[in-house]
Order: sequence, then C-alpha cells, then structure tokens
Amino acid sequence: MRSFFRTVGARGLAAGAACAALSGLLLLPADVAESADHLDPPTRTDAGFDTTPDIPADIADVFAWHSNGTTKIAMTFAGPVATTAPTYYDRDVLYKINVSTQAPGTSPEFVIKFRFGKGQGPNDWGVRIEGLPGVTGTLEGPVETTLTANGVKARVGLYDEPFFFDLIGFRETRSFGTIRIRNDRNFFDGQNDTALVLEIPDTNLGTIGSNLDVWGQTLRFGGNL
Amino acid sequence: MRAPSFSLRRAAMIFATPLALTALLAACGDSGSGSQVVVPAPLPSGTGTATPTPTPTAVSYNVDNCFTQTVQGQTGVTATLQSQIIPDTLKLDITRSTRFPNGRHPADPVVDILLAELFLDMTVTGQGPNTFANIPLNPPTNDKPFSLTFPFLATPNGSPAVASGTGSGFNFRTDADSAYVSVDRMGNPAIATALVGSSTKNSYNDATPADDATNNKYLAEYKNELHKFFDLIGDDLTNLGLKICARTS
Repeated sequence: MRSFFRTVGARGLAAGAACAALSGLLLLPADVAESADHLDPPTRTDAGFDTTPDIPADIADVFAWHSNGTTKIAMTFAGPVATTAPTYYDRDVLYKINVSTQAPGTSPEFVIKFRFGKGQGPNDWGVRIEGLPGVTGTLEGPVETTLTANGVKARVGLYDEPFFFDLIGFRETRSFGTIRIRNDRNFFDGQNDTALVLEIPDTNLGTIGSNLDVWGQTLRFGGNL
Repeated sequence: MRAPSFSLRRAAMIFATPLALTALLAACGDSGSGSQVVVPAPLPSGTGTATPTPTPTAVSYNVDNCFTQTVQGQTGVTATLQSQIIPDTLKLDITRSTRFPNGRHPADPVVDILLAELFLDMTVTGQGPNTFANIPLNPPTNDKPFSLTFPFLATPNGSPAVASGTGSGFNFRTDADSAYVSVDRMGNPAIATALVGSSTKNSYNDATPADDATNNKYLAEYKNELHKFFDLIGDDLTNLGLKICARTS
C-alpha cells in the first residue's frame, strides 16, 4: 500500500498542510462532539457551570437497536465517573424512556417510567418500572438484577461507560493549537455509568409504523438542584 | 479560501487507505508514539481552556444544503439530516439492520458518522456517512467489548461501589409527574451538545419532540451553530480535498 504522504505529496499536498487541515477539523467550538449528552445542559449538570450539578439526572446516552425479534433500549446516566464514585440512585429523579410506534413520532405510545427507592439494607436499592409494553402494572425489584415480565427484560446497574471519543485530544488541540487527537485514545476508557437496559419482544410493541422513535428524559421532584 | 488542492477522486483514494490516514493522524500528534494513554477522571467542561476565536474567513457559507441533502442509512427515500434530527428522537426501522442513524447500537462510531453528516456532501462518490469512521478519526470501538446477550453493556471498571442486588420493601415516590421538573432529554447523540447554543440549552432540554416539530422550532438554531463550525473549519475540509455540504459564495 502506498503511504498517504507519498500519495498526497506527489499531488502537491504537503503532510503539514494535511495536519493543519485535520487540526482545523478538531478545532471545533467547545461543545461540538464533546460528548453524546454527558454534562448537558451544563448549567444543570456540569460542575463547571453549576455548584450543585444534578449528576443522577444527567443523561449520558440513549441507544436503541433491533435484532432477532426484540428491540433493545439503553439509557446511561450519571457518568462518566471514576471507579471510586458512589452509586447514583436517587429517589427524587424520574426517568422516562419514550417510545413512539406510530406516526407522529412525537407522541409516544409507550412512556416507560423508572423510579428508584431505598431498601432496608445499607446498600439496597430497588427500581420500579411502569409502562412497559405488554406488561400490566409495574415491574419492581432490586437493581443489579434482571427483572422479567411477559417477555420483557429489564435491568438497572453500573456498567462500563459505553461511549468512545478522544476528548483529551480534542481539548488539547483547542488549548495548544496543535493536533493531539488520536484514534487510539478514549477519554471514556476505564470509567463507569449507571444504565437502564430493556429488551422488548416485537409482539409487545404491537403494530409498528415506518419506524420507532425513541427518546429519554429525566425530571427531578420539586425542581432543579 | 483556496480551491481544493487535489481532486475529489484523490480524496476518495485517500479514504480507501484508512491505515495511511491513521498514520497521518499519528504523525500529526505530539509524539506519534501510538501508545495508549490512561486518562484522568473527567473534568467538568467548564474547566477546559476557552475555545480560540475562529479566524475570520472571507468565504460565506450557506448550510441549508447540509440539512436537506439525502443522507444514506435512514428510513425513507427523502431522509435528510433535518428529518433525522427533527424531531430529536432516535429513529429505528426494525426491518433493517441497526447502524446509526438507523437507531443506535452501542458499538456504532456515532461521533465520526455525525461529523460526516454535518460537514460532507453526500452526493460525491467516495463520501458518505462512514467517511470519517472508515479512517477512523476517533477511537473506532469501546474499550471493552459489548455482549451479544442481555444486558449487552460491559461490566463496570475497577471495584466500584455497587448496590447489593437484593432487598425488598423499597421506598419509592408515588407523586404524579406534575410534581417533577424537567432536567435533561436526549434523542440523537451530540445534537443537544453540538447544535444548540449555550443560551438555548435549558429551554431545549425542557422542550419535547412535539415542540421540535412545530414549525421546525430549532432548525434556525441548528443552522446557526453549524454555520459557526463552517466558518472555523470549512476551508480546512475543502483544502483536504473533501467536498463540503455547505455552499459557498
């Protein structure tokens, strides 16, 4: 394989110019591609802008994918955090995963609600889930366990942060004006998130139009911190 | 702005040699050592160094085409960036395989895909949603593999504090939704962080997809923020031989 430098150099584009161009690509304003949704909105969830950041209510990512007759949905929050961080289950936060199966995609056929509650033991936390497709009533049990009802699987727990992006390189590039981004360095490496994970059989969702629309939302009891 | 220094055909050749571009990225770096770096705990974004003011450019960009051009990988023959992000929901056609922007699997390189969607002309042979992901520009995979079976996400790092996984009689709130106040919302990755300006962030997160769709409420905001990015890097992308989706004058 011919090297990039020989290929391009023979055509008049110096490697330095290419570096400058790629550097420019990375010299984006502060928020572009800085995260999926971590620490946003900053004045509510980012300690750099808020003296009382609402870490438990900070959505990090929303995922939705399909295979083998089931739709999988995951929403991560309270992250990324170091491995020494405490747990972030908060009785005052309401989590919603909205799923629209029919047009318009702005009106959810299913609003799946998650609430956390403290148990009797010092480290016992439970989750109560309402609105699961195909499930009558609520599904309730300890976090860090897989709960099932009518084919639906649900679990809340601590996981490896699933997002990957060279944020360090991005910020260094901004600071020093020299390209530092690397495709072998993941800022989110080695950190954790809390996540809600669902697996829902197609039959539980009923008739689906052209596509599913999925979005997450967090709300805090009594107002923002 | 100068004219592209080499042809789009050559650009296509470049993106056909991902290892070569990976080498370029390493060469552009400080040490080029290629070693994995252990990063510290995340810093709040507000503690970062302020973004330099973009160098003024004589080129004027019109980003309308970036939102209306057909984007591969979505549902519908007229799928566009605009239809992907308005309303700001993840859209998943379950009859097709999942890869962002058709839904989002945890393994999808969404940052590189989204950068391509925001900046590149999708009508050019050799350019598409995966142009940057094919290099790759950012790390292409997660640090830990995802599981094929429930719950899919990887186990936590280290020996962190975790809940017991046992217990009963949990004390849940039963208050009505009206007793809660919105904090955050998310559909597509990075849209709220990349295409919504600081002064609009709280109201954006308090809004709903129905609000998004009403007269394309945030389209002007998206365009305004994307325009800023083109002012900063549009000529760099062009000089790299890429055809951008924005139109210049």
